[in-house]
Amino acid sequence: MISDLVIGMAGAGGDGIVSAGESLIAAAAREGYYAILTKSFGSQIRGGESSCRLRLSAEPILSAGGTLQVAVALNWEDFLKFGGELPVGSETVVIYEEATGVAPGQIPLDRPRPALAVPAPIARMAQETAGTLKAKNTVVLGLLSGWFGLAGESIRSGMRRKFAGKGAEVQAGNDRAFQAGLDYAAQHPLGSGSRRLPPPAHRKPKLLTDGNDMCGAAAIFAGCEFFGGYPITPSSEIMQFLNREIWKHGGVLLQAEDEIAGLGAVVGASFAGKKAMTATSGPGLSLKGEMLGLATIAELPLVCVDVQRGGPSTGLPTKSEQSDLWAAAFSAHGDVVRPVLAPITVADVFPVTVEAFNIAEQFQTPVIVLSDQELAQRKETIDPIDTARLQRIERRRPAAADLDPYVRYRITPDGISPISYPGMPGGNHLASGIEHNENGAPSANGAVHARMNEKRIRKLAPLGDRDDLFTREGPPDAPIGVIGWGSTAGPLIEAARNLQREGLAVQALAPRLLYPVAEKVYRRFFASLRVCLVVEQSHLAQLYRLIRMFVDLPCPCHSLARSGANPFSPEEIAGQIRSLAGLDPAAVPSTPAPTR
Amino acid sequence: MTASTPVPAGSQPFTTKDYRSNLKPIWCAGCGDFGVATALYRALAAVGRPPHEIALVSGIGCSSRIPGYTNCYGFNSIHGRALPIAQGIKLANPDLLVLVAGGDGDGFSIGGNHVAHAIRRNVDLTYICMDNQIYGLTKGQLSPTSPRGLKTVSSSYGSFEEPVNPLLYCLAYGAGFVAQGAPADMDGLTALIEAGIRYPGFAFINVQSPCVTYGEEKFQLKAQKLRLEKLEALGHDPADFMKATERARAYGEKLYTGIYYRCPSPAATFESMARERRQELQSRAASRSSILDLFQTA
Repeated sequence: MISDLVIGMAGAGGDGIVSAGESLIAAAAREGYYAILTKSFGSQIRGGESSCRLRLSAEPILSAGGTLQVAVALNWEDFLKFGGELPVGSETVVIYEEATGVAPGQIPLDRPRPALAVPAPIARMAQETAGTLKAKNTVVLGLLSGWFGLAGESIRSGMRRKFAGKGAEVQAGNDRAFQAGLDYAAQHPLGSGSRRLPPPAHRKPKLLTDGNDMCGAAAIFAGCEFFGGYPITPSSEIMQFLNREIWKHGGVLLQAEDEIAGLGAVVGASFAGKKAMTATSGPGLSLKGEMLGLATIAELPLVCVDVQRGGPSTGLPTKSEQSDLWAAAFSAHGDVVRPVLAPITVADVFPVTVEAFNIAEQFQTPVIVLSDQELAQRKETIDPIDTARLQRIERRRPAAADLDPYVRYRITPDGISPISYPGMPGGNHLASGIEHNENGAPSANGAVHARMNEKRIRKLAPLGDRDDLFTREGPPDAPIGVIGWGSTAGPLIEAARNLQREGLAVQALAPRLLYPVAEKVYRRFFASLRVCLVVEQSHLAQLYRLIRMFVDLPCPCHSLARSGANPFSPEEIAGQIRSLAGLDPAAVPSTPAPTR
Repeated sequence: MTASTPVPAGSQPFTTKDYRSNLKPIWCAGCGDFGVATALYRALAAVGRPPHEIALVSGIGCSSRIPGYTNCYGFNSIHGRALPIAQGIKLANPDLLVLVAGGDGDGFSIGGNHVAHAIRRNVDLTYICMDNQIYGLTKGQLSPTSPRGLKTVSSSYGSFEEPVNPLLYCLAYGAGFVAQGAPADMDGLTALIEAGIRYPGFAFINVQSPCVTYGEEKFQLKAQKLRLEKLEALGHDPADFMKATERARAYGEKLYTGIYYRCPSPAATFESMARERRQELQSRAASRSSILDLFQTA
């Protein structure tokens, strides 16, 4: 019995492969399965190749999985373009379009050779049952449902709803195409390649969402009343979500003329007293640099989401990478500490974004949320979130005594000065990007500058104790440690859990607070370690080097770092940990010698 | 009360000095910006909004120091970005009176992009450009409105470029209110700023505010007084867009002051449309706490 199933599919743009994946995950959500759907496209605006991979599981999952158990190729050329994104292994069942004319023994996948190659007349069935090749994806759904026991009724009812507006003929055609796939699967059993997914433990329907929608929803929950931004892949869906929702909650959305103006309007809205947010991706973060510095020195709360993609410059606009960490932490000129948070799963985007608003409002600072394309655009079924346990913090307003007279940047014991807003009598002040004294008056005095820098940085000190912004898993005295963040944290934690089951004492740390570097939290984590591995999607190993910049490492610390596009799989990370344990056998005295 | 709601005559609760802050300007003696500040205080007193209901946003430059010298909620921001910030303030709280001030470099060089979009959005802002044809704060380089051939520390042999025409620029992008003033005519300048504030939409006022340290002789106050021609005296009709355009073309040659163009039927502002949209959609909202219900699949 297996607990999960990883399916990868690829085809030409018009084949509806991604749409098939979406139908499957929607059905899975209704059935109560845990599921993760990632989509991948060529950079064409329409057409071109497209693919998706779907992991379905009866148990909670943290990654999109590694090697495919099932691969579907509507044509070989497009399938092969995805390379490492759709890894086929020796246990993979490959289902492919018979019309490609390739014999099962001749398919262009032989490193390693898959367990089974099954040609199916997908196009012919679509044409014969629905009268159109557009139904190829529906035939595929029927095949998958039939061969692997996937939620047939939920898929069928979901498709009926999807095609409801398209007329009875289209609907009936799709029904027939789906049935044809089911029938074909029944008539051609897979034999040794057969796998059937067990039913979920609880049939309670799950929420179906992605990281960008969760980010927008979190902004609404947190009380955001203003969004200013500029379209950029892969973050635009945050703006699009808020465009639908923010008005209903009394807010305003401005699609600005550029990235700078988008953040500028957010700075203005924050000055006017509202919780405000922008969202962008790497190039936009570069453009926003100066405005972020203004928010730091003017001490204005705001949230800036950076959905990372491959960089620099236009880079890989549609693919994930974790290479904006340094830019997020350090792109400001001057002495600046700008908090950087990162969610580790789609569900996590919600509380982390809410916390970004809390930190921004409490400490009167811009906060960067580093999401990444993988989390932002992958669809996931998640358990309901108990929002009642989430705090919503408001900025500190001046009390009557603070207004007599009002000193905007008063140096207080915690460094946080009560902030007024236009319209508040007695709260008049000058906010400025130029250095200022406590009253807000411009000053070029070195002593004033030193005092104000000290205040602005000191107020953030409590973040150094926020171990609640870290997930730590595994035996706390384990000698092997692994650290990973963002979308890499999920596969990393799964890898650690798998190794623990194998008897290897491994603990994992996933920071949600990336900057300032919480030295104490890392020191506590390193306390029992003999060896450590930092895993990330960045050629320069930005997290690894960031930690080394602030934390004295008491043990050998290794890096598994590579450029973006292909996410890490739990098996790949586990392999590295095993070999690391082997490199330093003293580190794992109680466990059997690991194998490569 | 909105910015354009007139305060009945004789009931003005505030005087000019209520809008002046206690900071001493860093401007050079004889700078045109002193006149602009004084005209601004007078115009604000005439409009009569309490200082705490006013936001004045600027960028960077000599003139952008003006929020510090004004008693209100001031924001001395970064170079070229006053307009986006001001729009954020106004959209976040449309009940405020929001003004923008800055220099010609701020508005028509580094921040040039934002002027066009603030105009087409028609946010109810009053934008005062203190145009001195030079970069004063950085000590005398070319500005976007410097006349062609001007020799400065960054154009030792004379510039090659035609100046931007701020008046024509704003008219071309569809600003509903375009005016030009000069501190050589303080009453006129005060009246223009007041009229700009009362205009229900984006209002642009170019002020010929001479730089006494780096500016050309022909731009100084004394020369201004001789060159200045009031549009009103020429019988100019501010409702006549074509005539406004024609006279705006004389920027750099003639010094016309007054209202070039005031749209007789002002368009709806962004914020008024936003308010309507909110009213229309707010009834459909569940609470913020139940936002995740949107992702239910059952």
